[in-house]
Amino acid sequence: MIDVALKIWRYHSGTGERKLERYEVDAPEWATLLDVLDIVKDQVDGTLAYRKSCRMMICGSCGMRMDGRAILACKERMKPIAESGHVPVISPMGNLPILKDLVVDMAPFWRKIRAMKPWVDPGYEEYPEKEFRLTQEQMNPIHKEALCIMCGCCVSECNSMESDPDFLGPAALAKGFRMVGDPRDRTKVERLASEPYSGEHGIWDCTRCYFCNERCPKGVDPRDAIAKLGAESMAEGIDNDMGAKHAKWFVHSAKTTGWLRETELVPKTQGVVSAIKQTKFAISLARRGKVPVPFPPHVARDVREARALHELVQTQNRRGALGHVQGERALARIERTDEGGARRDVPEVTPGEPPVQRDVGERP
Amino acid sequence: MRVSYYKGCLASLSAKELDTSTQALAPKLGLELVELESVTCCGAGDIHEADPDYYLHLNGRILAYAEAAGTDLLMTICNVCNLNLRQANFVLRNDEAVRARVNENLETVGAPPYSGGVEVKHFLWLVAEGEMHEKLRTVAHRGLKGLKVAPFYGCQVLRPSKLNGFEDPDRPWSLEAIIEACGGLAVDYPAKIKCCGFPIIQAREETALGELIQPVEQALEAGADAMVTPCPLCHLSLDAWQQKLEAATGRKFRMPILHLSQLIGVAAGLEESELKFKRHVVSVDGVIEKLTTV
Repeated sequence: MIDVALKIWRYHSGTGERKLERYEVDAPEWATLLDVLDIVKDQVDGTLAYRKSCRMMICGSCGMRMDGRAILACKERMKPIAESGHVPVISPMGNLPILKDLVVDMAPFWRKIRAMKPWVDPGYEEYPEKEFRLTQEQMNPIHKEALCIMCGCCVSECNSMESDPDFLGPAALAKGFRMVGDPRDRTKVERLASEPYSGEHGIWDCTRCYFCNERCPKGVDPRDAIAKLGAESMAEGIDNDMGAKHAKWFVHSAKTTGWLRETELVPKTQGVVSAIKQTKFAISLARRGKVPVPFPPHVARDVREARALHELVQTQNRRGALGHVQGERALARIERTDEGGARRDVPEVTPGEPPVQRDVGERP
Repeated sequence: MRVSYYKGCLASLSAKELDTSTQALAPKLGLELVELESVTCCGAGDIHEADPDYYLHLNGRILAYAEAAGTDLLMTICNVCNLNLRQANFVLRNDEAVRARVNENLETVGAPPYSGGVEVKHFLWLVAEGEMHEKLRTVAHRGLKGLKVAPFYGCQVLRPSKLNGFEDPDRPWSLEAIIEACGGLAVDYPAKIKCCGFPIIQAREETALGELIQPVEQALEAGADAMVTPCPLCHLSLDAWQQKLEAATGRKFRMPILHLSQLIGVAAGLEESELKFKRHVVSVDGVIEKLTTV
């Protein structure tokens, strides 16, 4: 047996009362955080609320935070933490309203998943006579996205969603690519051009903070899925969003001068009229040399190579999401190489973030 | 140590002060920087997302030129360049079929092929430990006189940790180690590992500013005299867009933002012609005053 101490943020949404409670229990050596919560609920305080079901990383119910990090309670072994003497702080996931203690309201999460039309649309009314058979190669592009258990750990820490609560977020967008990339779906272009995908709170709202990839307990890498959606949109010519125009200017810069043509980026992204509205701001930057004069352009030596590469790769059938997918096999090997992999320090005393009750439409 | 120096777009353009301070600092730290004239933009998150095959080739080409220059280490001074190049490097090193195709294309356009012999590391990581960190205490002879500095890491030097891997992305220590070796006091605050909003600051300004306010506000509340960042994109966001935060909130932040090489540089006694603080939007005068009068 091991002696496990925890601090849990208790919260009652009816009264708004919240407090950090310390618990200490004996648990088996193999105990996960979820096992310890079960012991606390069974032996110490039956009013403790948290979600659980499968206990084996399949159902996605027990997402919560430990020391401020979104985790699955059933995946975290407590032995090394208990032995280090550290007392972890357990709190509910972020970016979702708290109902009680460690239970969050998943309604906004499911609403966003539903907005992605999360089913394969084969585009026919009557069933064909022969079954639709797929090869492994055809399914490889969505292999990672299909692993999602919709636990919400990625959403919990999404930095864009903290600022824009309406942002679809990593889980919904990963589900979106799960459908867009499915070879049986015949509505790819329709999906990509529709409001949830390419609208104000869609693909181009992602700030690329990579918290979602960092937190996902199943290796879905939602940020990569969002990049695949961006790549598919561009390949299909759905590139009217300012985010897409911003990206297009980078491509244009790379093949014309080799380096980013920084000063022209604002009008190329926002359009000339919006850019003019930014004149005052631009002048304040120009006074500090932050608006480099575009002439003569800053050109890389041998830039014709970069231009020729662009022309060459456009003809080689790796456009869109395939360009991302081709690297996945190598990246999956990282954990087994010396050069890759994360250093994780032994937990030290770091307080978890206290739960902040925020209404869904409210900005921080 | 002889390294290929990949300065990236911003340090060549709007953030020239990052380039000049890095170049001035390098010999003091025992770094010989080899400039690569034929390299291009790494594509940032933009080409990486929108045209991923082109991204892989652009980065393969940069790595190939670093290898052709006879170096086995490519030093970056930008988080985005660092992640882009590291990711491409992992792919090219670990998948022979992908590397063979990229190399064939590189040779078709007249560029050298890449055999996989280059490591990509951020300047931050080189100075945070080992020999160069030992040197730091003597190099930074003028010190920072207890200046309270809030470290701001920026996302892509921490996450995804399986591609960066230098330190715990939730409890990083490298900037703190540098601040303290230079004689400053590192100020702690939760948003130091969060996003500055820069990638979407033009396309989704309101959302980006909602992200940017967190580190600026928290650093101020923690009593910081200045913030330091290893990323020129974070720098641009924190420094140049701070006035928009002030306009949106009606508050005055006036938080000076230093590039990592400027922070070490000022402690090492570099000249203004090398540090180029005049190129900052938020004045750094208060910091300089503190360092010269105390």
